[in-house]
Amino acid sequence: MKLQNVRGLVLPLLLLGAWEYASRQGATGAYAFVPLAQVGSALAELLASGELLVNLWASLLRTCSGLAIGIVGGVGLGALMALSVPANRLIAPLFHALRQVPMLGWIPLIALWLGNGEGAKLLIVSLAALYPMVLNTFESLRQVAGPHREAARVLMLGRWQQLWLILLPAALPGIAAGVLQALAFAWVTSVGSELFLSAGAGLGSLMMNAEAAARMEIIVVCVLCIGLCGYLMSWLCSLLTRRLLRWQPTR
Amino acid sequence: MNAIAHALPTSVSPGALTIRGLSKVYPFKGKPVPVLEDIDLEIRPGEFISILGASGCGKSTLLRLIVGLDQDYQGQILLDQQAVRGPGLERGIVFQDHRLFPWMTLQQNIALALKNHRLPVAEKSRLVAEHIELVGLGGYEQAYPHQLSGGMAQRAAIARALVNKPKVLLLDEPLGALDALTRVRLQQELQRIWVQERCTVIMVTHDVEEALYLGDRVIVMDARPGRIREDISISLPHPRRRDSARLHDLKQRLLQELAGT
Repeated sequence: MKLQNVRGLVLPLLLLGAWEYASRQGATGAYAFVPLAQVGSALAELLASGELLVNLWASLLRTCSGLAIGIVGGVGLGALMALSVPANRLIAPLFHALRQVPMLGWIPLIALWLGNGEGAKLLIVSLAALYPMVLNTFESLRQVAGPHREAARVLMLGRWQQLWLILLPAALPGIAAGVLQALAFAWVTSVGSELFLSAGAGLGSLMMNAEAAARMEIIVVCVLCIGLCGYLMSWLCSLLTRRLLRWQPTR
Repeated sequence: MNAIAHALPTSVSPGALTIRGLSKVYPFKGKPVPVLEDIDLEIRPGEFISILGASGCGKSTLLRLIVGLDQDYQGQILLDQQAVRGPGLERGIVFQDHRLFPWMTLQQNIALALKNHRLPVAEKSRLVAEHIELVGLGGYEQAYPHQLSGGMAQRAAIARALVNKPKVLLLDEPLGALDALTRVRLQQELQRIWVQERCTVIMVTHDVEEALYLGDRVIVMDARPGRIREDISISLPHPRRRDSARLHDLKQRLLQELAGT
């Protein structure tokens, strides 16, 4: 492993050291900052019982389904708004007003309509992924260069051919950036929605139960797990993007 | 407008282009500014026409009108006696910037021009391969545009414009962005390709030598408003020698006129 790759581990390790130090400052310290050994045994316990994997899987699955819905809907809506002026006039004011409402603000209403089960959570995650997808698709389609459009016209491509072969590929770098944002939002809201809508499995539910049982070490395991998984998913997503956009000149 | 399938002409007949009383104004700060004024031009099938002029003489605008990207003008543009309305595959164009699509390989870029032709797939790939060879890019089929040099990208753009077997090929300063050596080499290539394909070519340029070396006729334009000042016939056979005495004399005269010395 190269030195550059290790450098990113320095701060986390320092933080862990500080945490362990704080946990040894008397009883209050040990309560607020659970000793790492205890966190480790909680992790082993959760892995052995399968609890961690079941809950992690539930959160991941919801993130992915919500992200997929958000991407398809967002690209569709964004493209509609970018390509049709009447549609944009009709939709834009409502869209921009609705997206000001934080996702947490929707939870009471959505819980009222859909209950506190999976459907409600999926809706919240999908909405969280939808906003950045619409915005990025709209902006990047609007910015497709005039010369590209002209070349497409000269080659006598039809409207749908222009959309599929020219406009969407040209907008792909922007759309991919939107997916990276949407992924982060989807993951955060997926876990966040479980904190408020507690029915069913998920890392958030696991944390709520641990809090009720005063098991701080489980909460720490969950926090670490959320951070690590989010990081891994972003990394995977950027890898995939780079592969998909290999036609771009390297900058 | 949905995609319309076009039948590819089996034998290419170069087109005759007639331009009558063509004028074009652009609004500038609320006032109409004439860009082209009363252009009359008769281009015979298979001719290579060079349009020469300083920047701002409207020569690129003239090409945009002929290719159909701009339909706001007065006068007539006829291709084989048919009025030109909008873009069409019987008119190919190469711009100064190659305008290849960066997300497609060289092969895909050229094949895109055949997208709406009613042709068997095998025939299409044969045509694409043939035109890649024609412009000397064999071996680069799978390269993306950013992997090509400026000269290679411009060759690819020429192949994309020619693969449809256009009746008229329009070249808008196609070599303007290239370095001097590449430019000279591509001028020879253009000549060779044209001798082989024999379509009607209209090339816009501000390079006097290039205009004379390639053109059967050189149309010299005045600027503001764009007008035809002179129509010089150059009856030298192709391929030509750069050091021909007639080309040399004409070059001296035109440089003097255009540079105003």
